[in-house]
Amino acid sequence: MEVYEVFRRAGHKDPYEHCGAVTAPDPEMALMMAKECFLRRGEGEHLWVARRSDIHAFSGDPAIDIVADKSYRHPSGYRDVVAKRERAIARARELEAS
Amino acid sequence: MTYDEKLQAFNDHIAAGGKVEAEDWMPDDYRKGVLKFIEMHANSEIMGALPEREVLPSAPTLKRKMSLCAKIQDEVGHAQLLYRVAEDLGKPRDAMVSDLVNGRSKFHNVFHYPVRHWGDAALIGWLIDGAALVTQASLRDSSYAPYTRVLKRICAEEQLHLRHGEDITLELASGSEHQRWMFQDALDRWWLAIIHFFGPRSNPEKDLLLRWKVKTETNENLRQEFLDRYVPKILELGFTIPAPVPYLDEASGHWLINDEDIDWEPLEGIKRNDGPETARRLAQRKAMYDDHRWVRDAMTEPVGV
Repeated sequence: MEVYEVFRRAGHKDPYEHCGAVTAPDPEMALMMAKECFLRRGEGEHLWVARRSDIHAFSGDPAIDIVADKSYRHPSGYRDVVAKRERAIARARELEAS
Repeated sequence: MTYDEKLQAFNDHIAAGGKVEAEDWMPDDYRKGVLKFIEMHANSEIMGALPEREVLPSAPTLKRKMSLCAKIQDEVGHAQLLYRVAEDLGKPRDAMVSDLVNGRSKFHNVFHYPVRHWGDAALIGWLIDGAALVTQASLRDSSYAPYTRVLKRICAEEQLHLRHGEDITLELASGSEHQRWMFQDALDRWWLAIIHFFGPRSNPEKDLLLRWKVKTETNENLRQEFLDRYVPKILELGFTIPAPVPYLDEASGHWLINDEDIDWEPLEGIKRNDGPETARRLAQRKAMYDDHRWVRDAMTEPVGV
C-alpha cells in the first residue's frame, strides 16, 4: 500500500488543486478511492493521483530565502502615480514656458 | 539545536498562532496527543455509521432511506479522510482498526447507545450532528494543519447532515401525536448523553491539547455554545427537555445547566468501553473487518502468484 496525493479540477478554467490523499495498492485503485472520497457531490470534473514519493518539495519554507526587496515584482512597488503624473506635467509646462 | 531549544521554538511557534505540518519537527507528546485525538475522531465516524445503519429499515419512505444511506456513506468517508491523516503521524491503519475492534481505543460516547425507532434518526441527525458540528467547527483553527484541511470538507458535509436531521425532526414535529412522541421519546433517552458528549469541564493547566492549541475551546464553552443554539429551537417546537434541565439566565442571556445537575455516572462504563451497545457493535465491526479480508487481500496480492 502507498499514499497517493489527490488533485482535483473543478472546471476547465480552473487549475488542478490538491484536495487530499488516499492509501491504495496501485494507481487504478487510488483513482477509484479518490473518486469515492472527493467527487461524491460532483465537486469537480477531473482527478489526478500521484504517488507521494514522486512529489518533490522544499525541505524548509522556500519563502524564507527571499529576503531582498522584491517590491518591483508587485503592483504595490509602483505607487503614487497621481503625484508622479502631476510632477511630470509640471515639468512639461516648465519646459514649454522657457 | 538541543531538544530543549527545539521544544522552546515549537512552543513559541504555537503561541504565535503557527501551524504544524506532518513533516515538521514536533515533541513526542504533541504527536501522540494529536494522533490519539484524530484516531478517536475517525473511530467515532466509523462507529457512528452503525446506529444509523440500525435505524435505516424504519425509514418511512424510499427518499428518506436513500438520504440516510447517503449520510451514512459520508460518515464512513470522514473516517477514511481522518485515518489517512492519522496514518501520517506514524500509526498504520491496520493497527488502528485492530485497536478499535479489540476495544483498545475509544470512540464517542453517543455511539455506545441503542437506537429504537425513526425518532432516533431525527435526533441523531439534528442534535448529535449539531453537537459534533459545534466541536468540529472549533477545531478548524487547530494547530495541526493537515487535520484542519480535512475538517473543511467534513464540516461542509456535516452542515448538510444537520439540515437533513432538522428536516426529519420538523416533519415529526408537524405530524401526528405518535410522530411527536417519537421525537420526544428519543430526546428523553439521548439528552444526558448529548450533554456528556462535550466532556467534563476542561483543565487548561493539565490539558496538553489545549495548551498546544490542537483543541481551541474548552469542553464547557462548546457545551454552552450548543445549549444556546439548540435549546430555544427544541423548546419552540413544544418538546420537553429532560434532566439535566437547562434554564435561561436572564442576566447573561445564556441557557445554563448547573454542574451539579449533570449525572456523570453513566459515562463511567463507556470510558472503559463497557456501554450498553459497545460489545455488540465492536463485534459487528470486527466481523465486517474479518469478512472483508478477502477484498483487502485481492487488492494487495496479485492473483495466481
